[in-house]
Amino acid sequence: MDERAARMGLRWVGDDAAVIDINGDVTAAAEPALTSAYEDAAKRGARRLVLNFGGLEYMNSGGIGMLVTLLVHASRNRQKLAAFGLSRHYREIFELTRLDEAITICDSEESAVAAAAS
Amino acid sequence: MTADPPDTATRRLASFAVASVPGNEREALDLVARSVAGQIPPARLDRLKTAVAEATANAIEHGHRGRPDLAVDIEVYREGEQVVVTIADQGPAVHGGNGDRPDDRDRPEGRNGAEDRNRPEGRGWPENQAEVPDLARKLAGEQEPRGWGLFLIRHMVDAMDVVTRDGRHIVRLAMRAGGD
Repeated sequence: MDERAARMGLRWVGDDAAVIDINGDVTAAAEPALTSAYEDAAKRGARRLVLNFGGLEYMNSGGIGMLVTLLVHASRNRQKLAAFGLSRHYREIFELTRLDEAITICDSEESAVAAAAS
Repeated sequence: MTADPPDTATRRLASFAVASVPGNEREALDLVARSVAGQIPPARLDRLKTAVAEATANAIEHGHRGRPDLAVDIEVYREGEQVVVTIADQGPAVHGGNGDRPDDRDRPEGRNGAEDRNRPEGRGWPENQAEVPDLARKLAGEQEPRGWGLFLIRHMVDAMDVVTRDGRHIVRLAMRAGGD
């Protein structure tokens, strides 16, 4: 296992809203951790998912692919996604890939939780 | 008073190799970043790092199939007003030119020592990167979720070329130095 692969923490910020705290590298190697956090949140009824990229160290194309897979699952389950904590560089990558059209990018956790409700 | 002539000299800033172990692209991007410190503003350096990492990961995973005994060679140059990074893998020769890579099928001359400058589309890259990734199509299941590497590289740097020379597959990335 890649020791740099992101660790994912799950916490609740409302009855139907969960934040996934991402720490480390978002690459394909982080997929099991993200899948586990997502499934845990879904099982417990999350309708709003907020990705906290404040601890992101590095993201590559495999990580982007992993987020696309997450989006597919969330879309099937009618869940909304928002994110905060992205650096300027990774915001640019979200815009380039148009991930920002499917995952609302916000400046703070509060605004991301609110955005995922709309 | 006349303006200084443009700086067109080429100077090598670094030359190193990384073993073809998935994850070693992180080492490559760190070494490249160190070698160009102060020559590229932070925002453009971030883009160059992403491009270097993607090209190196491709060489490791698809060029060398993750064989740790094979090294990916990386060189960094200052060429006039730009920084150039080359990332080289051993190309089709690794697989005996048996047609199991896209460039084997497309370009037999790549195995006989001839130099061939190509458009990057579909050559030396996984086949799912030959088409432009489209998020809507990926979400609809019409494209694989992955396949963003080549797309990212092209948008991160000012220029990208793919060359086959002496059987080696070389990606050349160029980024304007200095300024904002």
